[in-house]
Amino acid sequence: MSGSNVWSRSRERLRRFPELLAQCADEAAVYGKCVAATTTGKQELKKDVCAKEFEALKTCFTNAAKKKTR
Amino acid sequence: MSCRGIQKLLQGAGSGPAAWSRTPAASCCCRLRSGPCRALSGPGSGAGPGSGSGSMNVFNREMKRRQKNWAAVLQDGHQYDYLREEVGSRVADRVYDIARSFPLALDMGGGKSYIAEHLSKEVVQRLVLTDVSQQALKLGRRSEIPTRSVVADEEFLPFRENSFHLVVSSFSLHWINDLPRVLSEIHRVLKPDGVFIGAMAGGDTLYELRCSLQLAQSEREGGFSPHVSPYTAVTDLGNLLGRARFNMLTVDVDDVQVHYPGIMELMTDLQGMGESNCAWNRRSMLHRDTMLAAAAVYKEMYGNPDGSVPATFQILYMIGWKPHESQAKPARRGSATVSFRDLAKVSRPDSADQS
Repeated sequence: MSGSNVWSRSRERLRRFPELLAQCADEAAVYGKCVAATTTGKQELKKDVCAKEFEALKTCFTNAAKKKTR
Repeated sequence: MSCRGIQKLLQGAGSGPAAWSRTPAASCCCRLRSGPCRALSGPGSGAGPGSGSGSMNVFNREMKRRQKNWAAVLQDGHQYDYLREEVGSRVADRVYDIARSFPLALDMGGGKSYIAEHLSKEVVQRLVLTDVSQQALKLGRRSEIPTRSVVADEEFLPFRENSFHLVVSSFSLHWINDLPRVLSEIHRVLKPDGVFIGAMAGGDTLYELRCSLQLAQSEREGGFSPHVSPYTAVTDLGNLLGRARFNMLTVDVDDVQVHYPGIMELMTDLQGMGESNCAWNRRSMLHRDTMLAAAAVYKEMYGNPDGSVPATFQILYMIGWKPHESQAKPARRGSATVSFRDLAKVSRPDSADQS
């Protein structure tokens, strides 16, 4: 398909993912450590075990996305 | 191997019937004029007796054909070729290791043909290239060996038995539904004393991606579904080749580690290579939260000090020969001429040979 459609638009949005994530490296590291800790520690990996860290990451990510839109 | 995420670009956009026919589709497109045309098409093998276990259906072959077609016509598709080139060159190395010349060779699932460019006319005189994807065959790379391209599924080779001296397959067997059957097909089309050299992704390939997605999805959604396709383990490969009645087996493993800036680049590259997942049990949706979580987990658990992330491709190489009287056989029991007891008497390395 040619022209602008929902797939090409969403693909464009997705292309910005790495640069946006790069701006939230700290929050991502904190979240990653939290999840990694569940693989070694006694705590089992259940839903929303690291919800707080993920919320921080997501807010940072959406803010970065808002900032960069023209 | 990759999850398609929100990008549903390859979902049936009204393209042809998804029905998957069991008759071999063989349309011949001549690439280089290769002299007198030898009739290679024999009776279709689709109606043969089912060998071994019942037919497994793990992968959607029609989807794989569409994915490969899409990847082949990408504008800058050559930037995704690095892995196939690497594997192709290593398979060509193994062909050179065999001090023989092969008048007729078959490259199964060769796509744009990454092996032939390393081979010379002395080693392989004529080559037949098959793939499910017609676009990949059309846009294939040139080599000095006269090549004939055939659009055919690896599971239904439209060739007569005992036709090829050499069969190679680089990086395509990990999408086969019924691997025992394909191996017996290869055994069938090989001439006696012919050799099969194959390379496929196996075992631990993309374990980092699989684990990151699994952990992230468990944490975000409470459960997980497979996003990376299943692979054959090394230990099973020897059994499979033996069951297909190959002789003198050699199986070895090569780990290729590629570093990417992040999970998204890895998945984009996998898609560009035509290696997107096509297993029936894949979920077509990957929630954006899970993607974000997986990116963070991947970097944290497997990241390198310089910020990049590694992705492991475990390539299994296999070599098998079709039995022939000239091949070395194990010695008959009781035919030993020297005893192990005499081992202690061996004082110099060039004295009696140990048997």
